[in-house]
Amino acid sequence: MIEAINLTKKYGRRTVLRGLSFTAEKGRITCLIGINGAGKSTLLKAIMGLTPVSGGDIRIDGSPIGKGLYEHVAFVPDTLTLPPSMTVAGSLRFMGDFYRSWNPKRAAELLDFFRLNPSDRISSLSKGNAAKLNLLLGLSLDTDYLLMDEPFSGIDLFSREQIASVFTSDLIEERGVLLTTHEVGEIEHLIDKAVLLDRGEVRREFWCEEVRQNEGKSVIDVMREVYQS
Amino acid sequence: MMEPGDARLPVFNNRDPVYLQVVRHFKVDIATGRLKAGQTIPSRRELAALMNINPNTAQKAYKEMEDHGLIVTEGNSPSRVTSDERILGAIREELIAESVDAFIASVRQIGVPVDELLDIVKRKYETAMAGEKEGQP
Repeated sequence: MIEAINLTKKYGRRTVLRGLSFTAEKGRITCLIGINGAGKSTLLKAIMGLTPVSGGDIRIDGSPIGKGLYEHVAFVPDTLTLPPSMTVAGSLRFMGDFYRSWNPKRAAELLDFFRLNPSDRISSLSKGNAAKLNLLLGLSLDTDYLLMDEPFSGIDLFSREQIASVFTSDLIEERGVLLTTHEVGEIEHLIDKAVLLDRGEVRREFWCEEVRQNEGKSVIDVMREVYQS
Repeated sequence: MMEPGDARLPVFNNRDPVYLQVVRHFKVDIATGRLKAGQTIPSRRELAALMNINPNTAQKAYKEMEDHGLIVTEGNSPSRVTSDERILGAIREELIAESVDAFIASVRQIGVPVDELLDIVKRKYETAMAGEKEGQP
């Protein structure tokens, strides 16, 4: 389980996380939902130890973050962060050299599934294909947790559908997935848990099926209540 | 039974639990005979991919169907539709009752006398069924 406990983060005089707490369980898909500036990306970066927090704790399976974190938790940032002149095949080799948890067999399967051309250069990839490669690199690490920042943002419908199908497959089985989105729309029925963020605070954290069963409400219904009240 | 791209794959609404919508889909298939007694059904993993749902949801739907005796799973073999005639019969009755209840709840607000209503239902239903037959190849 990933636990954020009372997290606070300030950039200078601006507070971006205000005593924020939530959990993301293994074997579940948790979605951080909030408009731009709600603190979603900062939160993911904090969990990855990429930005220092001003207060609070982050625990992964009970332990504070530290060495070895990157072999347990994979992070898919919102843009592909590889040299533009690298080829797709080269990026896979690069990951293999860098991470012990790299799974070349799975990478090859995903290359096929996403129909990516190994000889293409990163600089020549369409937005949709860049997003798919980005996701492929994260999914091919045998980690317990997978964090994704806005995996559906700014790409075409068919690429979105293909990426969404990852969430229905054994690629994420047994893993904990934590993703962010500012627009839950088409993935609403795919996620297990929703965490609604607003200005650095958790406004509501809930299991989607429970809310449907007990309150007859969709995730969007709950968002309307929370954000428009 | 189902193929990807099958027009009959459920379109989920977001206000009812997804797992119950999956269960209902199976009930309809059983009641209409598209799924036969004792027939093998897809694995949880296959179902998740097929219906585009979270594997946890597929698992929960199968658990619900197992608990109600709709499907049976023995050891490591694939799950099957039950062969218990009593349960199979009850599914059909349940679906009919559910649909009729929903219809009544909606139509009673208009206050139509029952005989008039039954006439309309009979006429419309027969037209709809005839249309369906013509539509078939």
